[in-house]
Amino acid sequence: MKKSKLLIVEDDPVLNDQLGALLRDAGFEVDQCTDGNKGLELGSSQPYQLILLDVMLPGIDGFSLLRMLRKTCQTPVIMITAKGAEEERIKGLSQGADDYVSKPFNTTELLLRIEALLRRTQPESAPAVDSLLSLDGLEIDRLQQSAFAHKQLLDMTPIEFKLIWVLALQQGELLSKPYLYQLVLNRAYSSYDRSLDMHLSRVRRKLNSAGWDGSRLQTVHGKGYILA
Amino acid sequence: MKRSLLWKLCLVVGVGAVLLLYLVSQLSTRAQEQMSYLSDEHQQQLSAYAQSAQQLYVDNDLEQLAQLMRDIQQREDSWAAVVKSDLQSIAGGELSNKFYQSYGIGRGIQWKLHSWLVKPVMEIDIAERNVHFLIQLPDRMRPSIFQYMGFTHLLLHLVLPLILLTAISFMLYLHINSPLRQLQIATRQFSEGRFDVRVRGLMGKRTDELAELASTFDQMAARISDLITNQRQLISDLSHELRTPLTRLDIAVATLKHGHGPSSEAAITRVERESEEIRKLVEDTLTLAWLENERPSLTQEDLDLVDLLDVVVEDARFEFPDRRIESDLPDNAPVSHSNHRALGQALENIIRNAMRYTPPGKVVSVLLETELNSYQIHIADQGPGVPEQHLEKIFQPFYRLDSARSGDSSGFGLGLALAQRQITAIGGEVVAYNRQAGGLLMSISLPRNT
Repeated sequence: MKKSKLLIVEDDPVLNDQLGALLRDAGFEVDQCTDGNKGLELGSSQPYQLILLDVMLPGIDGFSLLRMLRKTCQTPVIMITAKGAEEERIKGLSQGADDYVSKPFNTTELLLRIEALLRRTQPESAPAVDSLLSLDGLEIDRLQQSAFAHKQLLDMTPIEFKLIWVLALQQGELLSKPYLYQLVLNRAYSSYDRSLDMHLSRVRRKLNSAGWDGSRLQTVHGKGYILA
Repeated sequence: MKRSLLWKLCLVVGVGAVLLLYLVSQLSTRAQEQMSYLSDEHQQQLSAYAQSAQQLYVDNDLEQLAQLMRDIQQREDSWAAVVKSDLQSIAGGELSNKFYQSYGIGRGIQWKLHSWLVKPVMEIDIAERNVHFLIQLPDRMRPSIFQYMGFTHLLLHLVLPLILLTAISFMLYLHINSPLRQLQIATRQFSEGRFDVRVRGLMGKRTDELAELASTFDQMAARISDLITNQRQLISDLSHELRTPLTRLDIAVATLKHGHGPSSEAAITRVERESEEIRKLVEDTLTLAWLENERPSLTQEDLDLVDLLDVVVEDARFEFPDRRIESDLPDNAPVSHSNHRALGQALENIIRNAMRYTPPGKVVSVLLETELNSYQIHIADQGPGVPEQHLEKIFQPFYRLDSARSGDSSGFGLGLALAQRQITAIGGEVVAYNRQAGGLLMSISLPRNT
């Protein structure tokens, strides 16, 4: 498989190098630069799969860079923000960033976010899947948007349905939070965001009340979810 | 809203101006009248001339009379004469007595003299009613109006109002300026760092707009000094709290440099844990500063409390596997206009705190009650509780009990401080109680907003 090519625009040289090394280790091809002007030049001239963009930059700041970049291309962008302020995150997202991490961030989380975003933006040629899944008495029909547990219809919201579908489709596989947020809720995951947990908890309750063991929907703390 | 300053100004300026106009016009009329008559002395002098003339006329001493007139003319540098009028009807009705009495050639000496009369001729009847002593009013006898009217006019219409209005303005200025001056002094002191300065008390019994301004200033000063004090406290606390994990981090790094084997394994775990703690401290402090400074209202989301509590309880169960946590929740508890991130973080912090102070093997219970307009969440632990006098203070950032609650050395940290502010931001309230059976009970009240 061809390596994904990433661009890092981060003014702190040490962090920039650390990120570069981390991403190369993770199997990406990486270009790096430390100021906004260079970042814009590279970002708009080369076909990157993803750009990691710091907000505080010499030259053009991250937000302006993103705005200018968005006029010509739709390369996925993860913003790196230094301030914890909610406002800045929202600003970044509304101006076309696809995700954001705030310093100090955890490298595992960053990698998960990058992977999740790449999976969303470059869908691999999805294996043809049936629109019907069956799992120990749980039957899910994607076309009808309906799920049955032991022949009993489960009353689910579209999001709950999508969640159980994705988990059932990749049964036994650990799915990360950033990935599920992108796939099920169509948005980026942020810390303290409990939406997905809450949906999952509701699905569990519904499964239990229909007599299907909801605890098979497992939370792997700090990582994600798995349907055992 | 009452506008006492407006009324005061209206009263002083409006009523003052009307009174002033009235006063000026009154004074002016009075003065003009006073000054328009011949003085008594001059009246007597003229009467005396007339008397002399009468005597001579009665004695029919016309030569002496002519001499008298010459004398008078010379003395007064004026014109004087004794004349005879002949008033008779030539055709038509007869003249009644009235005509003879009121008929005059010149002006009576008791008459008012207008300032526009130039060289008026005065008349005094002598002997019969048709003989008149006439004299052009000598210059020295002219009433003061001829000399002073201009000056008086100036005085009454210009100088007096000017003085009075200046006095009123000055008083108004004093009335308005004294509170402004106090505000100015207070503002300057405040900007120099004296955050305890307040001005409302200095305004005395005033209740006008300026007193309101003073109250507003005080509110602002209180809010800002609160903010600054909190901010300073937070920064000093944070740097203090950071010292411990940083020291442990340093030691772990030093161990890694020299050591090998199992000690370096532990050191790496230590580095990870300390870095995590520092990250958490920084993140929580930023969130706390944000909640304190912006006082945001986080109310744009609908959520189900049961789902959220499920998630938080499940996390706590995972984090503290050796304590039990029991939850008693209804099937649904929908809340509108709330924020699950703020509330989730708050519940997490409160439950984590309860778990931490509950000895292993003991139970933390979470109960959700539905009331008419609100939900009550009760989180009870089996820890040592908190001395009554500290029950409110545990919500202060980095608050420590004198003899820290058992279990952890890190005090309450930021958890409860954050929780309280987050619950406030979604319109709720949290109160801490000591349970009768021992342990701490946190009661959270949340509006349903349905």
